[in-house]
Amino acid sequence: MHRRHLLALAALPCVPGDAFAMERPLIAAAAALQPALEEAAPIIAVQTGIAPRFAYGASGNLARQVAQGAPFEMLLAADEVSIQKLAEAGHTRDAGHVFAVGRLALFAPRGSALDPAGGLEALRPLLAVGRVQRFAIANPEIAPYGRAAEQALRRLDLWEALRPHLVFGTSIAQAAQFATTEGATGGLIAYSLALSPALSARGSFSLVPEALHDPLRHRLAMTRRASDAAARLQSWFLSPQAAEVFARHGLQAP
Amino acid sequence: MAEAGLSLRLKAATPITLDLALDCAPGELLAIIGPSGAGKSTTLRAIAGLHRPESGSVSCGAETWLDTSRALDLPAHRRRVGLVFQDYALFPHMTALGNVMAAMSHLPAALRAERAAALLARVHLAGLEQRRPAELSGGQQQRVAVARALARDPAVLLLDEPFSAVDRATRRRLQVELANLRQGLSIPIILVTHDLDEAASLADRMLLLHRGRGLQTASPAEMLARPASAEVARLLDLRNLFAGVILAHEPGLTRLRWGNQVLEAAPMPSLAPGTAVDWLIGAGGVVLHRRGRPSAGERENPVSGTIIALLPMGEEMRVTLDVGDPEGRHLTFALPRHAAQRNALAVGEACGVSLLRDALHVMPRP
Amino acid sequence: MDWPAFRLSLWLGLGTVVILLPLALWLGRFLALRRFRGRGMVEAAVALPLVLPPTVLGFYLLAAFGAGTWLGGAFQAIFGRTLAFSFEGLLLASAIANIPFAVQPIQNAFAAIPANLREAGATSGMAPWAVFWRVELPLAWPGIATAIVLTFAHTLGEFGVVLMVGGAIPGETRTAAIAIYDRVQAFDDAAAASMSALLLVICLLALLLVQRLTRGIGRRRHG
Repeated sequence: MHRRHLLALAALPCVPGDAFAMERPLIAAAAALQPALEEAAPIIAVQTGIAPRFAYGASGNLARQVAQGAPFEMLLAADEVSIQKLAEAGHTRDAGHVFAVGRLALFAPRGSALDPAGGLEALRPLLAVGRVQRFAIANPEIAPYGRAAEQALRRLDLWEALRPHLVFGTSIAQAAQFATTEGATGGLIAYSLALSPALSARGSFSLVPEALHDPLRHRLAMTRRASDAAARLQSWFLSPQAAEVFARHGLQAP
Repeated sequence: MAEAGLSLRLKAATPITLDLALDCAPGELLAIIGPSGAGKSTTLRAIAGLHRPESGSVSCGAETWLDTSRALDLPAHRRRVGLVFQDYALFPHMTALGNVMAAMSHLPAALRAERAAALLARVHLAGLEQRRPAELSGGQQQRVAVARALARDPAVLLLDEPFSAVDRATRRRLQVELANLRQGLSIPIILVTHDLDEAASLADRMLLLHRGRGLQTASPAEMLARPASAEVARLLDLRNLFAGVILAHEPGLTRLRWGNQVLEAAPMPSLAPGTAVDWLIGAGGVVLHRRGRPSAGERENPVSGTIIALLPMGEEMRVTLDVGDPEGRHLTFALPRHAAQRNALAVGEACGVSLLRDALHVMPRP
Repeated sequence: MDWPAFRLSLWLGLGTVVILLPLALWLGRFLALRRFRGRGMVEAAVALPLVLPPTVLGFYLLAAFGAGTWLGGAFQAIFGRTLAFSFEGLLLASAIANIPFAVQPIQNAFAAIPANLREAGATSGMAPWAVFWRVELPLAWPGIATAIVLTFAHTLGEFGVVLMVGGAIPGETRTAAIAIYDRVQAFDDAAAASMSALLLVICLLALLLVQRLTRGIGRRRHG
């Protein structure tokens, strides 16, 4: 565990008041951000006095729920277009801010025929001899990392050959989970998830070159229901302290 | 409350045909008999308020319970009837005492348990008050059903085939108990049964129902000896039914033609000579002639025939004679076995009998 | 172990039972006793949530009271928050999804009461309300209790409808079943395992309870 984690945890009991006195705004966040936000939560509590409740899912799904009136005060999406659509429909206060840029990772569980060190190209020979079983990506229609995965695969002319083996997760988190199951050759998942202890214990990964897909710019925006606490949270997410936490989870500064 | 008894008139075309009228005086037991599907239970249910006929009226004493012409139809729980169902319909989740008390909502709560216990004792169920119906025999359940029906202090007691579900020995016992019970009741009692013997032994009067129509109302003896029509006779399973034509009336008798014979019958002056009629002779009205000594006494009709069947039944011998009836019907009668032997009756032999005039009953055709 | 999620599930189960029970009592008895044209249609409609994919149900429910609908708008105007993605929305969805679990056992219980028992009550002087209270209800009780237990247990397991109508908002609509799904996706197998085990035990107990109650129908020992 990083020293900073320990420090933050030690500071927790010093957090003023009991849980009820702390503000607990409801924040929707892309699934790829879960490990980063779980680490950030105690730090946020110490530094802002706010204890947000996070609901994770695919950015497209979450945006739809916001449009349908779900009580989220802020949406941290894994792309920009989800926020843009909401902003155009008037569901957000403003156009929001980019707070991080994500990377795509090629992951293979232990014992798989695929060695991620060879990059996506390593799939080609396996496909030729029929040694690819299931390959997991997020649903491109609702998950930004799924869209990026499809872009990368098409650019390398692997999409058509790989299509019959694809398993689609409803979010990048579910795709990651599929990628670790029996019978999965591997998957294209978020770098931030590949770094998490759970996944790094179950296999290995390599980064997919950024040139192969459109940039995974993560944008956040406050919804019409945002309270003051949400505004303060937004400041924190755009602060250097947040950038530090995000960087540790493979989410680069914009 | 004036106890002028129960009076009812029903008429309907659907769902089943009904066309009957009945009266039952306080303390009288009227049995409604007839084949299955005749409408007996429907009639009972109409009295109880469980069935509303197309048109009709039911009144008991000074109360009118049903009058379709005035759109008056008192629901069942407001008619003071006691109904014993064919399968008793005891409340399975209550004890015997509870079942009887359930019908006592007209009494103050403090009195109910005591009165219910007294009723159960009256039907010989003392000591079994706390048993549930599932723990009682068929006969005991029936008694609880009777007690519950009486618990309501009803203005009329209705019993729907109350003995059909038990074995013969229990049935006899229950019938005797009912006969005893009614001594102490001064309300009209209506009993529905398909068992003619049961009706004959318990009822003061019987009403015969067939396909919803009331055919005859009379005391058992009267109906069995003098049925109103051949249809009634057939429904009562009476034998020796023949056809004839009225010839003439004389004081004290009626002459009728039967085949090529002329018979003397009990008088029926209302029927004009020349009318085609049905007639029957009761079993007790056939007397065997001693061999070789034909009888020609007063008030007797000698008839001769050939024995075509001899059937021993218990202590009796059932004899079937071919008497030359134009429609081929046979005459049957019974006599003690020893008499049959003494007279050396044998199939194929000639045989002479007398038909007693007073037992020869003439019935008009509808 | 996500205790708030379990609390939510329990409240949802209890709330669904409380809402559905009076309706199911009336409808179950009505269907058991009355013959009328269109009865088959009503029974089919009652049974529909049994065979319909939960997502279909969720889709139609969202269409009925999501943002922008008459019902959703009215609720928002009165209570200041949306019907979808709220506990109240879950209650409504759960009540609809559980109609067959509540109505059918009750309907069967009332139908099993011989008609002549009601008539015996009437000829014993009981008004229709007294017949219902003193004769029908005690005899139908095992079926009613079965309906209660089944509805409660089934609500605990609701997933598809809850997810679509409620989202997975912690503390508000993230029930135990959904929390388990979340934990699996977060690779927290320990939490998923313990919560699943607890749900399994609860459902087993519920089924055993139903068995004991329905055995009582045959013997009628208890009034």
